[in-house]
This record gives sequence, structure tokens and C-alpha cells, in this order.
Amino acid sequence: MTKRIITLNVNGTEHPVQVDTPDRLIDVLRDQLGMKSVKEGCSTGDCGICAVLVDGKLVNSCLMLAAQCDGRRVLTLEGLLNDPSMKRLQGTFMTNNAAQCGFCTPAMLMASWDLARHSSDPSPEEIKVAISGILCRCTGYYQIIDSVREGCKGGER
Amino acid sequence: MSALELYSPTDLADALRFIEREGKRAAVIASGTDLLPRMRKRQVAPSILLDISSFTDDLRYIRQMDGVVRLGALTTVTDLLEAPLFHANLSIIREAAELFGAPQVRNVATVGGNVCSAASSEDLISVFMALGASVKLISASGERLLPLKDFIVGKRETALRSSEILSEVSFESPTGHSWTAYEKLGRRNMLIISIVNEALSLTLEDDMRTIRSARFALNRVSGRIPALAVRTNEFLEGRRITEEAIVQAQKVLASELSLTSDFRGSGSYRTEIAQVFLKRLIQRCSRSLGGAS
Repeated sequence: MTKRIITLNVNGTEHPVQVDTPDRLIDVLRDQLGMKSVKEGCSTGDCGICAVLVDGKLVNSCLMLAAQCDGRRVLTLEGLLNDPSMKRLQGTFMTNNAAQCGFCTPAMLMASWDLARHSSDPSPEEIKVAISGILCRCTGYYQIIDSVREGCKGGER
Repeated sequence: MSALELYSPTDLADALRFIEREGKRAAVIASGTDLLPRMRKRQVAPSILLDISSFTDDLRYIRQMDGVVRLGALTTVTDLLEAPLFHANLSIIREAAELFGAPQVRNVATVGGNVCSAASSEDLISVFMALGASVKLISASGERLLPLKDFIVGKRETALRSSEILSEVSFESPTGHSWTAYEKLGRRNMLIISIVNEALSLTLEDDMRTIRSARFALNRVSGRIPALAVRTNEFLEGRRITEEAIVQAQKVLASELSLTSDFRGSGSYRTEIAQVFLKRLIQRCSRSLGGAS
């Protein structure tokens, strides 16, 4: 008997889900709850494109057992589509051509949004640290860094 | 991983009773950042996971009392980074935390997990060794304190018994003319596994030129095993900091390292970097103390 029912609060809604011990948070988010913004890349914590917020902290959802997330609050990009700060970041990512293949973009946006919550005028160094755990394999980082700097500015928090 | 079970104990006492009974086939899991990828790669195959992640009230703390710093096993690397304690002569902890993984990993990876993984890729082990740290191991029948240097017995091998959980890492705050510093080399600046990491805790005599004690620790000293550079440390004790002494110490260090090559770097490259770091660390510590460099 390894299955158990847990309650995940995802983007503000409580979801009872049945999980097996080896199921990771990313498996439940994508396969049971349809949160397809959460991408699976390396599965070893190296590429960071599965990043989501759990209890307000940015984490790699491929490195977390779903069964250990019982009762925790998870935030994915799907839950921030109407958020002003996220909308602003999405806009600056578009105007700066910060997405090419787009595979890392949801995670980049989550890390940037997390940074924007704490800082309205981050230095390039702070931005680099904030997105350091997420690998982009095509666009390059400068467009992303510019987008984050512009996107963090000017909004009410 | 088909029949894998997860045991979520009600409290720490329950966890200790469980591991006393099932320890041989169980693995302790905190955040899982190290364990889960290793399980997926079939490097380890526990049949039960003991989840201790909920014991933050008992095991997540940073305390300093009577000159001793105590870190609960569930303290995260982000906790280390944000703690006001790790400045001045304890800034080594913050330096290592800044270079540890990336924010998503630092937010959950724990002190206890890093130490128990006992691998050359773990950034905190050399730092804690340089600080002369001990680990507290608890079980249903009591607790014991072990110097970290004796806790790490091989590559991914520790002195942890199957009935025990590591609960705390502690070390004495450096006193007197002491400083600490850390260097790490990887292929890039972030999210890297060390090619070489090296930590130093240096104490000078009142003349600020003579070394009272030097404690170098590296992520690899022999093979892939993190350890103190014992002979180098002995060699430096009582010596004045001069260009000549540093050159000689670099030779001693090279002679006591037996480093293996892998895809991250060759053994001879690692040795050379370790020597460069030796000089840099002595100079950084000495300068911070306002002494000779």
C-alpha cells in the first residue's frame, strides 16, 4: 500500500490527488492537474525549467516528492496569468525577444516574478543570481536580463 | 521504484523508533534534492523512505551560545545565506552558501542532507571540516557526538548507523586572530559541482605573522573523499607567513593529495588549483586580519 491521498493547494484551489510514493510534484502538476507550463528537462535539478513556487519559495518540482507536499501551497504560471506583475514581465519578455523556443520561459517568468516581489529595481547581478538556476539553451541571457530589469520596474507591489 | 513506500512519522520519537526497526532498508529523506536523482539513476534503491521534512520545529535552527554555533539538520542553505551570524570571521558559511547550487536548490537543500551525502560534490563538508565541526547523531537509545572528519569515512560513506539520524552540525566560533575563507572552482559561476573547493580557518599569533593554526579542508583529498589536509595543516603550524613558506606548503599539499580524474577535470589540474587556492586563502585570511600577506 503505497498510494495515498494528499491535498495540494495549486494556484489557490485545493486539489485532493492520489499519489504513489515515487511521484514527483512535477508529475502530479502536469499529468493529474494539467499544469503544462511546468516543463520537464533534465529531471536532476540541473536545468531548473520545472521551477514553481511552493509555500512562496522557488523550487525545482522534479526534485520534490508529491507525497511530501501534502497541504502545501503551489503556484505555477497558470495561477499568475491575471497578475499585474506577471503581465508586465510577459510584456517585456515579448518586446525584448527573450523567448525563442520558449521551453525555459515559464520557469524564467516564475523566477523573475519571485524576484519582482522582493525588488523593484534589481541590479543585473541580482537578476543573474535569481535566474541562475534556469538554463536557456537558445536565446541567450541578455534579452532575458533586460526583460526582467524592465519588468520589475514601475509596478505597484 | 515500484514498491517504494514513504513513512511519515508523527514526531521525532516515532521517526527514531521506526529507523531502529527498519533502518537497514530505509533511507532518510528531507528535501530529496540529492536522494531523488540518485534513486532515479538507480544508484541507491531503498525500499522505504523516512520523511523527516516536517520536523522543522525540532531540527531547523541556527543558534549561537557560549561560543558554539549549532545548525539543525533541516536548516536550508537559504537559511545560512540569510542568517546575520555568518559575517566577519564566519563569512565562510555565506561564501559557500552563495556558490551552492542555485536559488531553487538552496531553498530546500539541507545542512544535514549535504553532510550525510558525504560526496566530493557537497559544498558544505569542507567548510564545516575547516571549522572543526562535529555532528550529533541521535537514535532511540540516545545520542553521540562525532567529529565531522571521523564521520566521513569514504566516498558517500559515513559512520552513521542504520538506527541513527544526523540532527545537528556544531562548531566553535573562531576566537582570537582568526579568519575563514572559501574558494570554489567549477566550469561556470552558478549551479555547478565543484572541480575543487577548498576551505580555510586560519588563526594567527599576536604578532599577526605567525600561524597558530591552519585548518585546510578540501572536497577531495584522496580520491573523491572530502577531508582535512592534515599534513599541510601540521606543516603550517608555527610558521611565519612568507612567500617561501607558502611555496613549501603548496608542495606538502600536492604530496598529500591523491586526486582522481573525471569528466570535470584531471587529477593534476585539481592539484594545481588546490595549490593556487592554498595561497589565495592564506592571503585572504591574513589580509582580513590586517596581518602579513
